[in-house]
Amino acid sequence: MAEAPARPADELDLQAANGSPARIGRPVLRYGGADRTTGAQRFVADLSFPGASQVALVTIPVGCAEIVGVDSSQARRVPGVLDVVTAAELPSPMPRFGPSHQDRPVLAAGGVNFHGEPVAAVVAETTDAAQAAARLMRVDFRELPGVYTLDAALAPGAHLVHDPSIRPGDPRAERNVLEDALYTWGDVAEAQAHTDVVVEHDYTFPMVTHFPIEPGGTVVVPTEQGGLDVYSPVQHPYLLQRTIASVIGLPLNQVRVFAPDPGGAFGGKQNPKLEPLMAFIALRMRRACRLVLSLEETFHAMRRAGCRIRARTGFTRDGELTFHEVHADYQIGAYADVAPRVMAKGSYVAAGPYRIPAVRIAARAVMTNTTPSTAFRGFGSPQVAWATESQLDAGARLLGLDGLEIRRRNLVARGEAFVRGASAARADGEWRESLEKAAELVGWGEPLAPNRGRGIAVGIKPGATSGLSQSLVRLLCDGSAIVYAGTSDMGQGARTLWQQIVAEELGTPIDRVSVISGDTGTVPFDLQTSASRSTVFMGSAVLEACRDVRRRVLELYAETTGVPAEELDEAPGALITPDGRLSLPEAAREALGTLRGEFIGQGTRRLRGKGDHPLGGDAAFYEFNATAIEVEVDRETGELLLTKHVSVSDVGTELNALQVVSQDEGAAIMGLGHSQMEQLLLDEHGRIRNLGALDYRIPTFNDVPLELVTAAVENHDGPGPYGSKGISEGALLCTAGALGAAVAQATGVVIRDLPLTPERVWAALRDAEARSRADAELRSAP
Amino acid sequence: MTRYYRPSSTADALSALAAEGGGARALVGGTDLLVGLRHHTIEPTLVVDLKAIADLPEPIAVGDGGIRVGPTLTMGELAAHPVVRRRYPALVEAALTVGSVAIRNRASLVGNACNGSPAADTVPALLVHDASIAIASRAGERTVPLHDFFLGPRRTLCGPDELVTRIDLPRPPDGFGSAFRRLTRRRGVDLATVSVAAGVDRDGRVVLGLGAVGPRPLRTELDAPFDAADVPGLVRALDERLEIATPISDIRGSREYRHAMVRVLARRAILAAADRRTSGEMAA
Repeated sequence: MAEAPARPADELDLQAANGSPARIGRPVLRYGGADRTTGAQRFVADLSFPGASQVALVTIPVGCAEIVGVDSSQARRVPGVLDVVTAAELPSPMPRFGPSHQDRPVLAAGGVNFHGEPVAAVVAETTDAAQAAARLMRVDFRELPGVYTLDAALAPGAHLVHDPSIRPGDPRAERNVLEDALYTWGDVAEAQAHTDVVVEHDYTFPMVTHFPIEPGGTVVVPTEQGGLDVYSPVQHPYLLQRTIASVIGLPLNQVRVFAPDPGGAFGGKQNPKLEPLMAFIALRMRRACRLVLSLEETFHAMRRAGCRIRARTGFTRDGELTFHEVHADYQIGAYADVAPRVMAKGSYVAAGPYRIPAVRIAARAVMTNTTPSTAFRGFGSPQVAWATESQLDAGARLLGLDGLEIRRRNLVARGEAFVRGASAARADGEWRESLEKAAELVGWGEPLAPNRGRGIAVGIKPGATSGLSQSLVRLLCDGSAIVYAGTSDMGQGARTLWQQIVAEELGTPIDRVSVISGDTGTVPFDLQTSASRSTVFMGSAVLEACRDVRRRVLELYAETTGVPAEELDEAPGALITPDGRLSLPEAAREALGTLRGEFIGQGTRRLRGKGDHPLGGDAAFYEFNATAIEVEVDRETGELLLTKHVSVSDVGTELNALQVVSQDEGAAIMGLGHSQMEQLLLDEHGRIRNLGALDYRIPTFNDVPLELVTAAVENHDGPGPYGSKGISEGALLCTAGALGAAVAQATGVVIRDLPLTPERVWAALRDAEARSRADAELRSAP
Repeated sequence: MTRYYRPSSTADALSALAAEGGGARALVGGTDLLVGLRHHTIEPTLVVDLKAIADLPEPIAVGDGGIRVGPTLTMGELAAHPVVRRRYPALVEAALTVGSVAIRNRASLVGNACNGSPAADTVPALLVHDASIAIASRAGERTVPLHDFFLGPRRTLCGPDELVTRIDLPRPPDGFGSAFRRLTRRRGVDLATVSVAAGVDRDGRVVLGLGAVGPRPLRTELDAPFDAADVPGLVRALDERLEIATPISDIRGSREYRHAMVRVLARRAILAAADRRTSGEMAA
């Protein structure tokens, strides 16, 4: 269903005629990009479902409460209202689901665990009627002493977010710690013996929301065969299919997920949330049911885990790291979702890409009565990178080194371990090149104007540790091709890469390659669109499918023409015959003959995990980024003006230079959000105070640095097609660290809490001035 | 459910407002009203759209004595008007901070300024330029100084059965300079944390308009004339005079931050306004 029309050739930067491998790496324009730009693209809310009933959710204005009763009598009187669904209308006990912990109820049962958790749903003929009725629902509740902060959740006798009964056999069930992780190597005590300088500080990283421009929604349509068609702009259609099948009790072939392109997702649309509820409602109503979310409702559906980090770090007087201790508490929210893994995978790289003899990382996933946190670009890494990168700079300042030099002295070389021990992780790139390039591009050594400062930081993020992508490629008799690939195209441009790979491998012009995705009924299995994996995993599957097609063309060509197969060979875009080189589409046409038909190639890329690895397997690749920022600080107001922002990523091979730049720029700007302005603020009832676009601010184009420069280091050393790596998250991993160091240099004041809002910078400067005045008075006192 | 009415005369509009007994709201650009409707913080029984009324004052009338602005002049038109740009630079700067280009092409100066928001961006500049307001009711029309118009948050002298039909701006005396400064949480579209407009005349008389630092926009003057050679003296004078600000702490900023920022912005606005007295040039 998400088949975008192929673009006309005149839009493309094509070199199709010469058959050179130039299609890879070219800045080919985005497949479907014109539709996105003009508004012609149809997102889930734009799809028409004649006769569908409309659903509105009912919530209560507190974050933690026991539901005493629900009175729907007034709501039911609104003309057009068809039904009101509460826990009483759903199976008992309430079905629960989740990617790792089956803890999320289909609908709040008995109590509400976070502000915005739906208590009931109103079904009506129109959206207006459903929403008007939802406002007339009377929910009688008793507020409970919910835990909304890490301190409250970890306090002795704290309210338990989850009743121990839904954590059977869990020794931590009497606490709000859902999971923890411990990574250690070397001997910290021994390392302290040859340490000259120790820095120890606390850092905080705010809870932030994904803010996809398309809020999304779900439509569920019961089929005549007793199955369900589920429409949702989800990143993992096959996971949603399995979840619905399991919660409802249907075979997989009776659940067909249509996944229209998400209009931005950033990890927030990976895991099922309201789809199971919508499936139950549609079955109950025996008709299509449609829910379109508001932006405000997405605040209640997704966010990044906030984090508090205590870090203690030792250096020699030469600036070499001797030890690094990290304690990180991730504030994950009311249900597990994928947050325990965010905690475990993020903290795994909490020592950064450095050579450190002794490390101790202890991390916890702490539940609170807040929006369940989930995957979000960077997956737990930006939180710990903020602390670790700031520690490097704290050490550098004490030792009289600069931010570049201290990183040069500690960054691992290719093949060197930055995580040691049984499950070591080694640098899979020439990371120093990115660091040096970022320094060069920002003008690291140049003199600074007054009130300006520069900072440089690096970040790493493990890619997928297991995966499976399957693809089909059909080469049709006229030389055009159709790719079936289950990757969700949420703005990263996956489909464009599949076009480029097919063009490269089969010699088909790019404008004659179309891509079908977003339909579990027609497209083969893909585990996930996450962790910047698709280029590597699905890209490899598409590549293999193309090569399968080439082999089949060769075989049939031999059979049709009588040329012995052993005298034939195939190459990208071509069949090599004893008489010379034939373009592959031409060879295919000849092989197919008058019956025509087509070639169907199949490709699979599978990465099995390792049972004994703390992450479930080695990462397929690491994203590495170096970011350097120059900032000008208005000392009177605390406002920051970013005069230059440089992001350099280690990309392996750029399959599409334009898309690499787009991803880097997008991630860099998004990183400025949590670094400068974004934070979810809660009141004493656990309600989000800045709920919605008016008071939750994300960067706009006016907030983009005066100069935003991105560059890529290409060493063709990735595991993906043509040596590529995933690249979609790198540029936000260490934005905060680079900005924090730049502000510290500009002002002489170090701030360890994000975001660096004007008021926070102003307050830090004011406090520092007050301290220095007090010091001066003390000194001048008799 | 809210009903919608698009009258063609001021009399019809006023009758409709009166008939609803306080339940009706006037609509021009909708910058405030539509946000409230969407979030159900305002649930009027009737929305009276003024854009089809034939006998309202024209969008903008320029005379020797000043300009008169009707309800349908948009922020975009205001900011592009050559006479406005020449005479009222602070107002142009303020109008250009309202929303985005698309919003400014819809937003009404009268609607945005006269809705009673303590943070309305254009009000400090209108105060500095000594604006007055024409209020129409079925009994007739009256004119009040803008300075007296605001009573408190969302409370003004315009009753529920009345309409603001005009803002009058006298022509500034020769050699008058004005400027607007605003602090926000980001550089893109945002609501003001603090806003200040300043006017300085040929003799150095300083007038200030202050936004988002009290329950209503404030207008004040400094006792001593501006002296470019004595900025420390200006800072002291502002410190004392700006005690009239009574900001609150909210999601956009704390009380103490606003107290500090209104002083910083006032000083900057005054210096910029004083500079413009001779050059007459606006910052880009």
